[in-house]
Amino acid sequence: MSRPPAHATPRRSPGRLARRGLTAAAKYTILMLVLLATLGPVLWVYTTAFRSDAEIMQDPLGLPHEWRLENFSEAWKVGKFDRYFVNSVIIAVPVVSLVVGLSALGGYALARFRFRGNRFVFMLFLVGLMVPFQAVMIPLYFDLRDWGILSTYWAVILPGIGLGLPFGIFLMRAFFIGLPAELGDSAKVDGCNEFQVFWKVMLPLTVPAASALGIFQFMWTWNSFLMPMLYLQREQLRTLPLGVMLFSGRYSTQYGLLFAGVTIATLPVVIAYVLLQRRITAGLTAGAVKG
Amino acid sequence: MGSVRQVASKPPGARLGIRLTPWAFLIIPLVFYAIFFLVPLLQSVVISLTDWDGVRQVRNFVGLANYARMLTDPLVRVALGHNLIWILVGTASPIIISLGLGMLLWPSTRGSNLFQAAYFMPQILSTVVVAAIWSKVYHPLIGLLNKALEAAGLGHLTLGWLGSMQWALPAVLIAAIWAYFGFTLVVILAGLQTVDVDLLDAASIDGANGLQRFWNVILPQLGPVLTMITAYTLIGGFNVFDIVWVMTAGGPANATDVLSTVLYKRAFMEDHVAYGTSLALMLTALSLIASGLFIYFREKGTER
Repeated sequence: MSRPPAHATPRRSPGRLARRGLTAAAKYTILMLVLLATLGPVLWVYTTAFRSDAEIMQDPLGLPHEWRLENFSEAWKVGKFDRYFVNSVIIAVPVVSLVVGLSALGGYALARFRFRGNRFVFMLFLVGLMVPFQAVMIPLYFDLRDWGILSTYWAVILPGIGLGLPFGIFLMRAFFIGLPAELGDSAKVDGCNEFQVFWKVMLPLTVPAASALGIFQFMWTWNSFLMPMLYLQREQLRTLPLGVMLFSGRYSTQYGLLFAGVTIATLPVVIAYVLLQRRITAGLTAGAVKG
Repeated sequence: MGSVRQVASKPPGARLGIRLTPWAFLIIPLVFYAIFFLVPLLQSVVISLTDWDGVRQVRNFVGLANYARMLTDPLVRVALGHNLIWILVGTASPIIISLGLGMLLWPSTRGSNLFQAAYFMPQILSTVVVAAIWSKVYHPLIGLLNKALEAAGLGHLTLGWLGSMQWALPAVLIAAIWAYFGFTLVVILAGLQTVDVDLLDAASIDGANGLQRFWNVILPQLGPVLTMITAYTLIGGFNVFDIVWVMTAGGPANATDVLSTVLYKRAFMEDHVAYGTSLALMLTALSLIASGLFIYFREKGTER
């Protein structure tokens, strides 16, 4: 937009200005209404979490008369959220780091080397990008049982890595294709072998793509529901989403407690989002446009 | 690999080494992928051709009997209908909402980033949390929706939304759209960054009004982005499970059952493992066909 828009200066009658003010008002009204619809339910849950059940029953919409913190301490105590939180971390850390690491390896190989089978391997991973988890979930259940790791952390860590790779490799391959090949070639002239080229030259350049992939993979693993529900059938192994489901089933009529539990479970993610928001949407955009 | 020969130029061993290098990078990812995806996928095909119940050792080959059984399973037909509603409404409405909001936020609006960030926020919540929040919004006694209706003087419309045969599916679908449209919006806004502004100016000089500019100039340029999110959403519409399962578990009386919840019930609650597997493969095939057809027709459309 180097030159000013054609209609900017010459025709500026008062009627036109008024109309423009009106459209701006209409625009912001719509934007605010959607904002209210988006944040309203969440804010309602967060504020109601401070209220007593009697107060909620009487008037579910209002703000708390007195801000009760007891709901939170009670929910924390009976909800075992600390246990679920630790389980989620134990599962997310290896899945995210291995998906990012292995995707960098595989994506690099597919982007940099021309070899027989390159296209075939890429297509193989593309299949995994399009086929839903349901297509493998039943045999995988019995495989994990036969290997004796059903209802252990491994039962979601190992499949989580395998099923995360298609998207990861897809993203990292697109990223490496965008890097100039001369970078690696000049390092080879300087005496590096292929692994040193990858490790010393390419890997440091992948930080933006790898962190975008890491954020996505973390969100998927952290929020994943069906896989842990099927493969982690012992209560002490449950992850946060399963814990929330269990909790809201068990205390479905103790509203204050329930809302406090949902608040506890979501607040860390929401805070992390507020801090990292720009990076999350930027990563998403990069992935979408490249893909 | 003798050390003497290696000094000489390009020994055969080194050439083999070069040929194996990409596989050295690929071997670990491929092994993970094969064990946890490719092999189970093949196992699915095999199991779906048997009568295995997951308990007994024996598996008898029954050919396509499981696939034939789908045709006569009344629940499958009901669920498929719900999936189609889910796909039509759940694909079209986030895209339409996002296009509308995108046109309001683009090319530049004060506070655009803030709005975008807020609209995207539900996307980071786990589906279970979205379900927990909306179950309370729809709650018959303390629900936000009923109380808002009462406050607006529409008290006669209040309802136990998730318990209603008629309203349960739309209610769950609305919760899903609420959680999803921020994603399509961010992607569409990214696509709008690539729209040629000069072309747009030229169109307004030629006297095109806002709607004409949107329809004839902006929309065609968004084509690739729209294809991508539509295909992505279509796949999601066939295998939707989490939000339905947590909010209604398919009820009341199958009013919200979709293919995924039916296959879950058949395979894991009724021990019809082989039949459940064939349902999973059917669901997979449907989503692949639908998104494949969609991409095919789009590309054919843009060739002209």
